[in-house]
Amino acid sequence: MSAPAVEFQQVTKTYRKWLGGQQVAALTNVSFSVAAGEVCAFLGPNGAGKTTSISILMGFLYADWGHIRVLGFQPGDVRAKRRIGFVPENFAFYKHLNAEKLLGFHARLGEVAEDKTIGLIRDLIQKVGLNGYEKLKIGRYSRGMVQRLGIAQSLLGDPELLVLDEPTSGLDPSGRKEVRDLILTLKAAGKTIFLSSHLLSEVEQICDQAVIIDRGRVVRAGTMKSLLETGDQVEIYTTQLPEELEVVLREWGAVIERGLQGVRIIIGSERKREVAERLWLAGSDVLRLNPVKGSLEDLYMKLVGKGEVA
Amino acid sequence: MKLRTIATNTFGIFLRDKLLIIFGALFLCVILLMMTPLLTLRARTAASNLEEMQAYVLELVSAIMFMVSGAGSLLAAWAAADAVATEMKSGTILAVMARPVKRWEFLLGKYLGVMILMACYVTMMLGLSYLLAWMGGQRVQSASWMLLAYPMVRYAIYAAIAMAVTTVAHPVLSWAFTMLLGVAAMLVVPGQDRIANFALRWLSTGLYYVLPSTEFLSEDRFLTIKHATLHQTGWVEHLTTLAYGLDYALVVLLMAMWSFHYRSLKRD
Repeated sequence: MSAPAVEFQQVTKTYRKWLGGQQVAALTNVSFSVAAGEVCAFLGPNGAGKTTSISILMGFLYADWGHIRVLGFQPGDVRAKRRIGFVPENFAFYKHLNAEKLLGFHARLGEVAEDKTIGLIRDLIQKVGLNGYEKLKIGRYSRGMVQRLGIAQSLLGDPELLVLDEPTSGLDPSGRKEVRDLILTLKAAGKTIFLSSHLLSEVEQICDQAVIIDRGRVVRAGTMKSLLETGDQVEIYTTQLPEELEVVLREWGAVIERGLQGVRIIIGSERKREVAERLWLAGSDVLRLNPVKGSLEDLYMKLVGKGEVA
Repeated sequence: MKLRTIATNTFGIFLRDKLLIIFGALFLCVILLMMTPLLTLRARTAASNLEEMQAYVLELVSAIMFMVSGAGSLLAAWAAADAVATEMKSGTILAVMARPVKRWEFLLGKYLGVMILMACYVTMMLGLSYLLAWMGGQRVQSASWMLLAYPMVRYAIYAAIAMAVTTVAHPVLSWAFTMLLGVAAMLVVPGQDRIANFALRWLSTGLYYVLPSTEFLSEDRFLTIKHATLHQTGWVEHLTTLAYGLDYALVVLLMAMWSFHYRSLKRD
């Protein structure tokens, strides 16, 4: 098994003010890992510690305690940074440059071969939909255009790991969809993506795993599948449901929905075997039997909305 | 390559800075203001008072250049403090430091950007001193390299101090602190009058050795040189003075790099 692309173990960070002022615990024993090739969502409310974690991951801040590895190196190590693409929250830029010049600047810092730079910049500008605006000063860009440019600069040098802090902030729905599609393309290309976002429905669609953080502590982490399975209910799809069986199922607390495709029965998982057998005996075909999945939003609200800490 | 990229970008940012446009306007004002007295002196110069007028014009040029050079010290300290602080304030530092750039490389690149700016300033200063002397009908007798190297080394020291302080403090504080150091360094230069109080004398002598002794690094003393006194400073003195200044700047810059290495990088 290959080493994780990102590894946090018992990471603790406290912000201290000078001369014995107030201390703020930003992170407390934060542990999680992201395997190579996975898309991991990093979720949490404002002030939960997401940007602090990302800053530590990128080597901008130093943790007080804990073990951190990024692509097998210490955070901030240039060997790791050569293989990382980063989009900071509210990407900032040099106003006097245009898109081509800014990307050229980052390409030189990113050690991109000079003979490849021009072609690469042209491709990236096209990829993020900024063609036609490459000569315009960035100071005149809209927020969405700046964000696209931020994404373009993160892709310079074909990074293995992408760290995206709110990459869709400031984008309109079509821009968000384009970024989502881009992330899916990168995922298909085997890139590891560490994504901080508030857009839970999008995260649910594109991520393999999620880490939910609140008040500096990890409250839930795991694969998206395991996080969304409620475990206590199943849904059974069948072709037909006899009336007498329906009465029994309702007595057991089942929810029954009829549609064009057949009947959907939601029932406690302790009764699933019995219901399936009764349906077979009644001559109905059981088309599917799945654990009921919750939404990421439900889970998030349950964990963070009520302030629960596991 | 990375250092050059950061340095040229820093210089590019400076070129669009409003404060620098004000500095440019100041230069123009100095030339315009000094035209009348210098041209008058030129008109009054005759074979009988040539030596006297030469000294007078060079004194005047030196006095003007002392002010312009002092403004350069302010500029060096401001530019160094601003170069780092602006990146932190705007958050551009985050995207730059996400690249395979070491912290010392970033700081050194910024410092070199400041030094490119100051090299332009010193070149303009040299041009101004020649222009003013010409207006007065005289020639600057000292070698051009002295008028370039001395202020550059002095500015290198001020820029390094301001950059070092900016790694731990607000840029305005850093700028003010650097200027205070500069003034204190001038005040503690041993003079003719011996300080009576032992503690004060000890403090003054201590500060004289610790603070950047820009008195030695002033190009002003070379502007007043007349043809007869042209070779008054030997090569050994030039080399030791400039080496002292460069060494001072290097030590302070290394301190700045060390401090910056442990600093949190975040949007201020």
